[in-house]
Amino acid sequence: MGKIMILNGSPRAPKSNSKQYSELFAKYSSLPCDYFNIGRSNHEELIKKMRNYSDLLIVFPLYADSLPVGLLNFMKSLESNPPSCKPVVSVLINCGFLEYEQNNVAVSMIKYFCKRQGYSIGSILMLGSGEAILTTPLRFIAVNAIKRLSLSICKRDYKESGVTMPLPKWLFKLAATSYWTRYGKRFGISKTEMSVMEIEKEESKT
Amino acid sequence: MKLIMSDKPVHIDISGTENIKHIDLSSMKIANCVGCFGCWTKTPGKCVIRDDATKVYPYIAQSDSVIYVSHIKYGGYDSIMKTMLERAIPIQQAFIRIHNGETHHIQRNVKTKEATIIAYGSTDPEEQDIFRRLISRNAKNMCFKNYEVIFVPESEIEETIHKTLRKWEK
Repeated sequence: MGKIMILNGSPRAPKSNSKQYSELFAKYSSLPCDYFNIGRSNHEELIKKMRNYSDLLIVFPLYADSLPVGLLNFMKSLESNPPSCKPVVSVLINCGFLEYEQNNVAVSMIKYFCKRQGYSIGSILMLGSGEAILTTPLRFIAVNAIKRLSLSICKRDYKESGVTMPLPKWLFKLAATSYWTRYGKRFGISKTEMSVMEIEKEESKT
Repeated sequence: MKLIMSDKPVHIDISGTENIKHIDLSSMKIANCVGCFGCWTKTPGKCVIRDDATKVYPYIAQSDSVIYVSHIKYGGYDSIMKTMLERAIPIQQAFIRIHNGETHHIQRNVKTKEATIIAYGSTDPEEQDIFRRLISRNAKNMCFKNYEVIFVPESEIEETIHKTLRKWEK
């Protein structure tokens, strides 16, 4: 029987949306799952454990159009110190933009890594509007997509898919404004303050 | 303002050119972004991690021409350049705009740029194609008005920078 290793590649792993997506995945998986955060100093430990799993699911957010650097560094560790037995690699990536297709380059990078390093690619799920979707009435869209992802990996019937909020862009823009305004309010920062155009000046000469 | 940002030391002569800044990221102490959104929601426009990245992103914002020199890894920027680009998000707002038909973050006072990306360390066409697609995405999120991606062997980085500098002079 297979077993799934879930690795969270978010820089804010313990408080991340990727953690919530991972928990949903594990909830709907018929195969046993173990969850780990990718840290700065646990690469060797994670790679040692990896040989015990048939599948690896990497869950992470899009960062500056590609992979978060912490995940990139982990992949470099995998390249220099590969596990004795390589799992099938699946991906659950989310971006805060409406278009899930903005994740395409990051997915290509993972596929390139897998091809060069001898890992089979499993399922891919790209989420758009991933920063907020779980807090909205449209949560079910992400939940159902994750259920399907889980089913595809458990049945070894690997698939690629993408989902997002079914909103026109102008409405998404309004919804994002409302979401981030509420976010700032928690820290006592108003929408006007968050909208400031100034960027801090250089403090000292480089 | 023009900026040359490299992930390794490069020997280039920019003496007598007051408006060109060279930053060698490999000589700086820059931590990974922790994804706290502080630069959007707590201290807008300012990163809460007070390391060398705070000396760099103001230059990225002010520059109308940039040269980024980076090693390629898996079709993307390698760690040094990627770490800095992730730490540059204070120059954007959390709020969303519609730009070129897609949703993107609103930029603060960021100049639109002529960007030259000099990428070294890969001769694989597949990897270079992924990198080109990445820069095409960066163009939308990082205010590139025009951009050029140049793949070079490491030994030709400095010559390629000088060629670009000569184009800037014209």
